[in-house]
Amino acid sequence: MIFLTLIFNTFREAIAKKIFVGFFIISTIIILIFLFAVNIDSIEGMVNLMETSGQEAVKQFVIGTQIFMLNISYLLIITFCLISVSSFIPSMLEKGNIDILLSKPISRSKIILGKFTGGVVLIFLSLVYLLGFIWIILSAKSGFWHVPFLYSIFWLTLSFAVIYSIVVFLGLTTQSSVLTIIITLFLVFVITPVLGMREQTIFTFVKSDAIRFIINFFYYILPKPSDINIITANIVSGSPVDSYQPVYTSLLFMFTMLSLSIWYFKKKDY
Amino acid sequence: MSSISIKNIRKEFPSKSFSKNKIIALDNVSFDVGEGEIFGLLGPNGAGKTTLIKILLGITYPTEGEAKLFDKDIKDVRSKKFVGYLPENHKFPGYMKGEQVLHYFGMLSGMKNKDVKKKTDEFLKLVEMDKWRKTKIKKYSKGMMQRLGLAQSMLNDPKLIFLDEPTDGVDPIGRKQIRDVLLNLKSLGKTIFLNSHLLSEIELICDRVAILNQGQLIKEGSVYDITTSSNSYNFVTSEISDDVVNTLLNNFKATLNSKTNFTCIVNNLKDLNDIIDFLRTKNVLIENVSKEKNSLESMFINLIEQTKN
Repeated sequence: MIFLTLIFNTFREAIAKKIFVGFFIISTIIILIFLFAVNIDSIEGMVNLMETSGQEAVKQFVIGTQIFMLNISYLLIITFCLISVSSFIPSMLEKGNIDILLSKPISRSKIILGKFTGGVVLIFLSLVYLLGFIWIILSAKSGFWHVPFLYSIFWLTLSFAVIYSIVVFLGLTTQSSVLTIIITLFLVFVITPVLGMREQTIFTFVKSDAIRFIINFFYYILPKPSDINIITANIVSGSPVDSYQPVYTSLLFMFTMLSLSIWYFKKKDY
Repeated sequence: MSSISIKNIRKEFPSKSFSKNKIIALDNVSFDVGEGEIFGLLGPNGAGKTTLIKILLGITYPTEGEAKLFDKDIKDVRSKKFVGYLPENHKFPGYMKGEQVLHYFGMLSGMKNKDVKKKTDEFLKLVEMDKWRKTKIKKYSKGMMQRLGLAQSMLNDPKLIFLDEPTDGVDPIGRKQIRDVLLNLKSLGKTIFLNSHLLSEIELICDRVAILNQGQLIKEGSVYDITTSSNSYNFVTSEISDDVVNTLLNNFKATLNSKTNFTCIVNNLKDLNDIIDFLRTKNVLIENVSKEKNSLESMFINLIEQTKN
């Protein structure tokens, strides 16, 4: 019950800080634009034309559109959502607030896990709304009910959870929302994509085995949300997935971050 | 069984400068607080009072020593099951309404939902915040926050309540109400651990006090023992003649306040009785003899000054 209270309070905080409303408005705008787009004559005509040329063309159109929406959702969760939830931990740690929280008969690890789970469930429900509606609109319009697109809700939630574990750790150690956002965005948008493409970029001019080893080392220990997004796109499109290594290593990174966060929070004086 | 048992608690904080010296916030502090007592913790700013409360509640960890709440080690989170706490300058999440604050912290205390609702109504009425229950707390005044904080600390029906400056920012009428609430809690058998700068209030409601200075426990005892000077007696008598006055001043080290009132410092009970015998032989009527009582404030200031010297 205590754990549920912590999760529920994360929702209350998200509602109060207009995070839910913000995501709802953005999602609704995207859904409406999408609804408008599939109803305009040219697109409708295109779908009709594809229907006459065969089921395969319709499938390709639907899957292509779904992957496009998947990428938009990915950008949405690592920008808007990340910025929104970055204040959860620093606001919890504010002097006078944390004192009362820690005086309750609840372990510090439960507090961190409650906050983490609350944030993840929040984003999961937001994604269900956005991607669920898009799936229904597209499927109803095309008559092609492509279920694997719905799996992307879980994959995107996983990507968010991995990034959120960094936010939790940085929030605890720096107690600053701004610093947390800057470091996380730098890691997600600069470091990990560069490391992901290391063979095409860095390794073309770095010939030293030692340096290559270090770069590879960082690639494997850091999270890979963009690689997970590629895997998700492959699953949605039905293409083979070369390796699930980015998922495993990202999950390992997430558990390490959470363990470090709990360890730090447990030993810290407030 | 003691509500609180503290043994040799020491707390060091790292120095903020580059110096290797550590800041000693508490040094070998030990005392017990019995069940049903109102216990006051006194000390100047920076004496270590809040640090001690935070250690007892697991918010800060001791460097050395051990403490127990109701015979349970403070490291065990279950020791906080029957505890309420109102911190100094507390800050509830600003997005919550008054009743949501109580509901949230009540649930975190392990209460059942229906009990929380019932107690929320009860305590909001008790602290006269019922009409503000639906208002977001960022609109509350300091006094309102304090009263809501007090309600929060009592919500889970705790056996032990820690109050850190509970009357801070509260007007005199509000202070009187808080005092009445505390005395009511005491009558219900609750233990109250009070940390306040307002010594007159401590003196009014506390059974026992401990005085901390620079992290060290310099005095502990009942308010009566601390405020009552052990060897100074005040006499109220019929009007005394000049020769009696002279004898009292010369032989009994008396300090004359008026012709009917004087104070004597005695070494033992025999000295006291000698004075009484002397007065009776001179046909002086004795109306009252009492141990001289100082205010807690003057005793506190004296003790702190002595420690400095």
